[in-house]
Amino acid sequence: MASVSVRNRVNQSGVLSGRPMLFAHGFGCDQTMWRLVAPEFEADHRVVLFDHVGSGQSDLSAYDFQKYASLSGYASDIVEICEELGLRDVVLVGHSVSAMIGVLAYHRAPELFGALVMVGPNPRYVDDGDYVGGFSRTDIAGLLDALDANHLGWSTQMAPVIMGNPDHPELAEELTNSFCRTRPDIAQQFARVTFLSDNRADLDGIDIPTLVLQCSMDAIAPDSVGEFVHRRIPGSVLVQMAATGHVPQLSAPEETKAAIRAFLAR
Amino acid sequence: MTGPHSDEPGGEVAEHLGRLLEDDPADLYENAPMGYLSTLPDGRIVKVNRTFCAWTGRLPADLLDTRFQDLLTAGGRVFHETHMVPLLRMQGAVREIAIDLQRIDGSVLPCLLNAVELRDDTGRPVLVRATLFEATARRRYERELLAAQRLAEESEARSRTVQKVVFDLAAATSEEDVAVVIVQRSREVMKARGAALVLVDGEADDPQALPVLRPVRSEGLSRELLRRLRGAAGSRLALELAQGVRSILLDARLRGDQPELAAAMGEAGIDELVVVPVSADSKRLGVLVMALGDGSPEGLISLHEPGARRVMPPSEVDLLYTLGRQAGQALERVRLHEEMVRAGERSTFLLEAARLMAGAADVEETVERLAELAVSRLADVCIIDLVTEHGMHRPAARHRDPGRQHLVDRLRAYRLPVQAGGHPGLLALREGRTQWVREFDEQRLTAMTLEGIHRETVRKLCLRSVVSVPMAIEGRRLGVLSFGADKHRQPFSAADVEMAEQLALQLSQVVDKAQRFEFEERTSHTLQDSLLPPAPPQLPGLRTAVRYVAATQGVDVGGDFYDVVRLEHGLVGLSVGDVVGHDITAAAIMGQLRSVYRSQMVDQLTPGVLIDRLQGGWELFGLQRMATALFGLLDPASGELRLASAGHLPPVLCVGGTAQFLPVRPTRMLGAPPAEGPTAEWVGVLPVGATLLLFTDGLVESREADIDAGLDRLLEVVGRSCSSDPDELCDRLLGELAGEHRADDIALLALTRV
Repeated sequence: MASVSVRNRVNQSGVLSGRPMLFAHGFGCDQTMWRLVAPEFEADHRVVLFDHVGSGQSDLSAYDFQKYASLSGYASDIVEICEELGLRDVVLVGHSVSAMIGVLAYHRAPELFGALVMVGPNPRYVDDGDYVGGFSRTDIAGLLDALDANHLGWSTQMAPVIMGNPDHPELAEELTNSFCRTRPDIAQQFARVTFLSDNRADLDGIDIPTLVLQCSMDAIAPDSVGEFVHRRIPGSVLVQMAATGHVPQLSAPEETKAAIRAFLAR
Repeated sequence: MTGPHSDEPGGEVAEHLGRLLEDDPADLYENAPMGYLSTLPDGRIVKVNRTFCAWTGRLPADLLDTRFQDLLTAGGRVFHETHMVPLLRMQGAVREIAIDLQRIDGSVLPCLLNAVELRDDTGRPVLVRATLFEATARRRYERELLAAQRLAEESEARSRTVQKVVFDLAAATSEEDVAVVIVQRSREVMKARGAALVLVDGEADDPQALPVLRPVRSEGLSRELLRRLRGAAGSRLALELAQGVRSILLDARLRGDQPELAAAMGEAGIDELVVVPVSADSKRLGVLVMALGDGSPEGLISLHEPGARRVMPPSEVDLLYTLGRQAGQALERVRLHEEMVRAGERSTFLLEAARLMAGAADVEETVERLAELAVSRLADVCIIDLVTEHGMHRPAARHRDPGRQHLVDRLRAYRLPVQAGGHPGLLALREGRTQWVREFDEQRLTAMTLEGIHRETVRKLCLRSVVSVPMAIEGRRLGVLSFGADKHRQPFSAADVEMAEQLALQLSQVVDKAQRFEFEERTSHTLQDSLLPPAPPQLPGLRTAVRYVAATQGVDVGGDFYDVVRLEHGLVGLSVGDVVGHDITAAAIMGQLRSVYRSQMVDQLTPGVLIDRLQGGWELFGLQRMATALFGLLDPASGELRLASAGHLPPVLCVGGTAQFLPVRPTRMLGAPPAEGPTAEWVGVLPVGATLLLFTDGLVESREADIDAGLDRLLEVVGRSCSSDPDELCDRLLGELAGEHRADDIALLALTRV
């Protein structure tokens, strides 16, 4: 089997002996999402970035429709990355769906993780009785539709260029929208798994320091969901950010870095 | 004449065009054939053109300060956050993003969007400029393309599924195999929560009988649900539905009509059951049942609103219908195959049974071994009842599993329970017809058993199918042969019943023959006992010994005889003879012959005269078979001895350890045409201490050697063994000369003069 590092396109930087910080990107793009935030921690942490299988420059041949039919497939990959790199006391920073994947990874191997940072978590996107996840079923169907509409720009002729030149990232840079380009069938399944999972029960039993970063006016993770997550994880810290939208690590990197710093300094 | 015509624009038009081309930037911005807007990095609109306002049906004042993402559909908003925002931040521009705007009236305007992010000197975003092009027609075209592609993919996937199913079914060799393939594959195709193959036993198309529904394999469906489904509408519901691919929806109607089924579905969280007919050549074999409900098998939330009905697309219906037909054909093939295998087993069994019956020694052993053979091949239980003169008798009751033998042993004690009127064995015997219970139910069980231990024992056997065949010959009831199959075996088929009948016929013949043989044997014993004189009388001056040994084959009686008769004046009449044949008739004629010659002996005829008289009156006496005989008349006082032979072997005289045949000249056998002239007699003296031995040919004839060798051997043994004790002599003779396998009877008469 090819190494996990190759499969997940693992990139490391910072202080090798420092406390590991593992950054997990969410649905949509890839590890470059972290480029305004991760360098901040290189001075005193071992910073580890990776792409989920099926995203970015991960090994697409490793994508198994059965394994990734649920979030636990992604969670087991995170555990494997930590094991292959020998990481312990990991600060797992997960954005969006990866906040929940991080929770699943923690349940799988709690001994590996020292802290969880959940950026814009949402354990269930679809409304359910009193629980407001922010989406109706129709909304999700519309999202899948929107994905379809945008995948028409995906051309298989382009794929080899993107994947075949990992040593020349500038080539890939030239391709518009390449960071968020995903094979249509994989994007469809990832979207389904992301937006149709219900991981509320997994929030129970988290026994390590946990930070919940909640953006303002986040259409994907409403404030009420952030509060829900915070309530379900006793001892967690909820930071309501001034940043709007769902991607504070890009839209408000300073605020994001500061919040994580403050949390880690506790 | 009018003004000159020219292709060049005239002065007035040119002026207008010139004005337009003067590039009024404001007009170009506001009325450009595309939407144009500027937003702050967080999406708030700070500038927007009139075209965009017109497209969205909103006023510029309403749009200013509104977030661009709030103008999108929900799906579009997610795409905006997860793709557009990161891309803009990372690469400063996005191109050709398909995005749907929501007009003020709620309708959707498909657009393509290009955007650039303007940054300050430190690289921080300041403004986003976006242009939008209406793409309604283009998007529709793309959607159609995509739909066509999806359709082609789905159709290919369906063909692949059918191919896989056909491939897997080809390897199936049992109903269970077929069920595994079809349940698993159909479940995958439909992403069903559960599926089950339920087959119909008996005739599905018989309007009179209620079909018996038998689940062969079930995945992810509760027992309770299956039971309710089978029971619904008098067990016909599933079949009625199985005219085509149908759905049973958990709705108000179902709750009213089939409350139990509805409850079971509700309990299991299933809101739709899909029923697919499983058939082959218009023969309905059963149904494939699938449970659809909220939630996919992977545990993801279903996109369908809870309780909302999902309409099955025709392509799925077609696929399921095809799967059902494939399963039906595979079932037919497998059944044919199984039937062939069973037919092979049946013929092997019948052959073995015939061999066993041919080699068996008696009825008890035959039925015992037959029952053992039956449970090793064809049935789980085999019970054989025989009618005897003492009543019913149950010589064999076997179970395939030694661990359950004690149950049938218990049944053995009950024999045929006469009080249990519905017992198939009893009915078979009474009505003289085969009783075949293909599939049991509780009612039937109650009818055929006695309340209490008997019923409990039968219940513990878990029988599902029983066949009882009467055994009879020429209207005479001989017994009943019963087979039982328990739940792990297929119920008995018509071919099994036919085989049981053949077996019963064979066994009837064996039992009949054995019973007749036994009767004959018993009769001949009785006859013999009455025909042979009990023991020779005590005679002064003589010691006598007699032996009668039957042949080892056939009945225990033959036509051999011996006789010692006390006559007047102290004379003793002696005889040894052999009526031709070895059966009851021979014994009977021997008895007649004895009466005849005894009546003649009264006249103290000498042996020669006696033979002549018998010869002369043979027809008159009504003796129907020929016989050899040796007659003698002895005067124990003087030792005078007269002997005459009618075709019989000569007697042996042993004096002082020397044995010799007395040269009695035989005349023709009794019953043969008489010879000319009177029969010759041998006349001599039996000295004191000498022994006379009269015998029949069984003593000297054997398969291995000719009769001369036998006679030589006889002389040798007599010479060696002769003493004053004739009993001892007889024992020695039998011990040394009569082998274990005697083809003929032996009669011995030895007498010593003392």
